[in-house]
Amino acid sequence: MFRNYLKVGLRYLLKHKGYTFINVLGLAVGITAAILIMLFVRSEHSFDRFHSKADRIHRAWLQEFYEGQIFTNVVTPVPLAPLLQENLAEVETVSRVAGIGAPIHHRGNIFNYPVTMVDSTFFDIFDFELIKGNRQNPFPSKNSIILSEEAATLFFGNISPIGETLELEIGGEKRLFTVSGLTKNVPYESSIQFGLLIPFSNAVHIWSDYVRTSAWSNVSVETYVLLKEGADPAKVNAKIPSFMQPLVAGNYKAGEYNVRLQPLTDIHLDNTLPAGMVAPSNPLYSYILATIGILILLIACINFITLSVGRSATRALEVGVRKVLGAERRQLIWQFWGEALLLTLSALLLGVLLAYLLLGQFNQLANREFVLNADVFTLLFCFSLLILIGLFAGSYPALVLSSFRPVQVLKGKVRTRGMGLFGKGLVVGQFVASIIMIICTITIGRQLHYLQQKDLGFEREHNVIVPTNQQGSAAALLANRFIAALEKNPQVIDATTSLYSMAEYGWMQLGYKDDKDVFRLFRFNVIDPDFVKAMDLEVVEGRNFMEGNPADSNAILVNEALVKEYGWDDPIGRKLPGAYPQQIIGVVKDFHFESLHTSIKPVVMALKPDAFFENSSDVSYDYSPRPRISVKFRGGNAQEHIALLRENWKEVAGDQEFEYRFLDDALNAAYEQEQRLGNIVQYASLLSIFIACMGLFGLATLVVQRRTKEIGIRKVLGANVSTLVGMLTKDFVVLVLLASVIAFPVAWLVLKRWLQDFSYRIDISWDVFLLAALVSVLVALLTVSYHAIRAALKNPVHSLRTE
Amino acid sequence: MIKITNLVKVYRTEEMQTTALNQLNLEVKEGEFVAVMGPSGCGKSTLLNILGLLDDPDSGSFLFNGIEVANFNERQRSSLRKQHIGFVFQSFNLIDELSVFENVELPLIYLGVKESERRKRVEEVLDKMQIMHRQKHFPQQLSGGQQQRVAVARAVVNKPHLILADEPTGNLDSSNGNEVMELLTDLNEQGTTIVMVTHSEHDARYSHRIVRMLDGQTVLTDIMV
Ligand SMILES: Nc1ncnc2c1ncn2[C@@H]1O[C@H](COP(=O)(O)OP(=O)(O)O)[C@@H](O)[C@H]1O
Ligand SMILES: [Mg+2]
Repeated sequence: MFRNYLKVGLRYLLKHKGYTFINVLGLAVGITAAILIMLFVRSEHSFDRFHSKADRIHRAWLQEFYEGQIFTNVVTPVPLAPLLQENLAEVETVSRVAGIGAPIHHRGNIFNYPVTMVDSTFFDIFDFELIKGNRQNPFPSKNSIILSEEAATLFFGNISPIGETLELEIGGEKRLFTVSGLTKNVPYESSIQFGLLIPFSNAVHIWSDYVRTSAWSNVSVETYVLLKEGADPAKVNAKIPSFMQPLVAGNYKAGEYNVRLQPLTDIHLDNTLPAGMVAPSNPLYSYILATIGILILLIACINFITLSVGRSATRALEVGVRKVLGAERRQLIWQFWGEALLLTLSALLLGVLLAYLLLGQFNQLANREFVLNADVFTLLFCFSLLILIGLFAGSYPALVLSSFRPVQVLKGKVRTRGMGLFGKGLVVGQFVASIIMIICTITIGRQLHYLQQKDLGFEREHNVIVPTNQQGSAAALLANRFIAALEKNPQVIDATTSLYSMAEYGWMQLGYKDDKDVFRLFRFNVIDPDFVKAMDLEVVEGRNFMEGNPADSNAILVNEALVKEYGWDDPIGRKLPGAYPQQIIGVVKDFHFESLHTSIKPVVMALKPDAFFENSSDVSYDYSPRPRISVKFRGGNAQEHIALLRENWKEVAGDQEFEYRFLDDALNAAYEQEQRLGNIVQYASLLSIFIACMGLFGLATLVVQRRTKEIGIRKVLGANVSTLVGMLTKDFVVLVLLASVIAFPVAWLVLKRWLQDFSYRIDISWDVFLLAALVSVLVALLTVSYHAIRAALKNPVHSLRTE
Repeated sequence: MIKITNLVKVYRTEEMQTTALNQLNLEVKEGEFVAVMGPSGCGKSTLLNILGLLDDPDSGSFLFNGIEVANFNERQRSSLRKQHIGFVFQSFNLIDELSVFENVELPLIYLGVKESERRKRVEEVLDKMQIMHRQKHFPQQLSGGQQQRVAVARAVVNKPHLILADEPTGNLDSSNGNEVMELLTDLNEQGTTIVMVTHSEHDARYSHRIVRMLDGQTVLTDIMV
């Protein structure tokens, strides 16, 4: 019996090649999209799950209420880890993880490779694979260092690194470290990333006794906690205040200083907490992608159904004959579902092949390195696709066709004229999804364009940022010599040193209590007198700093947002009320020193930082306070600019590694997630309209076939080609227009939500909707008119004879 | 074998209501060969469909081998049908995607006959119909007469007691038509009961008895000698 179904199924599919091709290709493309999107979504949801104890590992985070403001940090005080270990019976072990800036001196070069300091329990908690070394005692001495394969290759090439040495500059002193272990590279799906590990005992070189033992307002390390088997995290969380509060009672009332534990596996998709070592993902994006994947699949399945509906007249006869010969309905249901499964299977194979071929492009699009393995999950996923699509797509023939009564079909009484309400509904559904995606594509594209083109209040083109990676006077010396060397060059318009450049989205944040006891926050940067000119900032009131004017070291520049916050009409000569002695000498026009996701905050810029740090009660920063040099070039070749910078750097900085970023690249990086989403939605909408059109094409074939005789008669009676084409295409156009009307409000709601993520955004304009509808109608017209024109041009004698 | 009394079949469509069979009475004995004749639209096909358990009557009684089947459900009808009844249609109704062999094999598959047994029986019947050499061919590759022979083969392969033929020669020329009639006569001589609808007096002469219908009722029965 099964063999017979298979045979008929195969022959049927082979006989109607066009139909099969459209079906298989549509489904295959849908399956390809689903597989690729699955890789992405799976990766997003598999972060940190490779640790065997993942469900018991938690990261401590800190929430402070201070003067009416909330501060949330995932870096914690240094002494928190031992405190938790000591006071919580449920804690099995703890490890601190701290990224530190430690230039590496190696074979005459200086590398700024990230160094991570961890407790020796690190490998007890986490499953990072140690190829060489001892998990129980990874650091035999304080000067042991463990390398990832990548780092090992970077520093030592192909030789075994064990026993080799690296010189790290920690706390201003060079110290020799001996390699005691080698790890596999950290998987992408890990919230903890490292290349070099050194033992936490080196903290003595970095932090004072006070910071290491009792500075509860000073956050600098991540704290990971492994709970004992069966411990309830909620209960553990509830116990913390009892021993924490007494320690911070001097500065915080009860409930104002809260240490909480966050499950390790929640870190990646919880973007309500600030970024740790790896920025968390917006979970919205994996949901959006999953939705897109499902939509595309749905569109492909609907193709299958509309085509089956179209073919039902032919298949009905077979149903009738089979029933006459004794087939039961159940058997026919199986037959049609079997056929659908067969077709889906071919589509699946083709889809997997396509996914394989397109993986490279997709990786580029997503900026990942996914691999398509035949692992259990993937196989299961493909199998579920097969079953679900097969069942869903085959449901129409299986459930409806099989119910045809033989007497009726053998008499030709089954009504298959027109598309039927059902078929029409399906076509409308497909186009609704496609049109939504088109509208989203265009609007996301426009928003991205807006972000990239918006006047930020400073010049972003031909600007290169070179970090000094040094602090204090060493940085100043290096910067001055570098700038002096560069300024001799006619290509360089300006060069300026600032603590933060425009490329760091997140300047230092300072907080203080003003004279009315109100807690105030502002962003802070240390600049030189050239900064304003080099960045093309506009001084709207007062003046800029002057070169060689000692009085200016006691002056500050502020932005309009700050003036507005304090409600001043005459800001020049004023001081920030309360804490700081500096006088405002100038106001610069607001500029976007942060991404356009957020609105412009008050800014203070000074020549000297010291007084500010001393007088602020709160200091926090995301990027290390090491000065950056911004170099502005006259237009021209970027590669030449870099070569020039490199050459001059070599002269003044010697061994120290040369790093650079183009300002516009750095700025655009802030919208990378959106950019990727935009690209993916763009491809998705192309795909969906392509698949939908294939369905439309198939349906048009059938409709025209069915109306061949009618067309012949009309032609004999004098209808001309254009009226006939018009008659045949009108129905389809009406459907697409109806789909537009349904798609518009949905697209509008989706986009409204998405745009809320930006403080600076475009308005959703109506022309986008019109454009999307127009594109869809045009594409639909093109698709359908192929058949319509062919049918209309046919000699009516032929079509009338075949009865 | 068949006893029908006061059978009524009414077709209802949106626009109108057609009484296809109106208080019809008919009896067919085991081994009989009955021809049904009458003008178009008088209800011949409707009668055949009800006899073949493809359709159910609105009222009246239908005894098949002494069992009342007028109120059988779909499943019961299907199982009775596949065991006892074979069909031959005017338009052959072969399945295009199946070869001659596979078309003939189909009823046996639905009967649940084993593969080896199926092969034997299909070959037997193809041989009898003299289309053995065409068994690998597909319907489109055959002439009308050959197609109808395949249809007859398919109708008899499960050794039905009753064959219902609706204008089996309607689409055939006279020589092919005669061949088919010979086939049916042979089958009847071997004991199969046959009810055949036809427009042709010539074909009707092969039967034992002609039932003439008008407006959903039998009006006359001619006995052949
Ligand atoms: N499925 C149906 N729906 C509505 N009317 C039908 C249907 N089948 C047959 N009829 C009507 O019933 C009458 C008898 O039809 P039929 O049995 O096919 O006649 P015959 O085979 O004698 O030509 C005709 O008037 C026909 O139009
Ligand atoms: Mg008829």
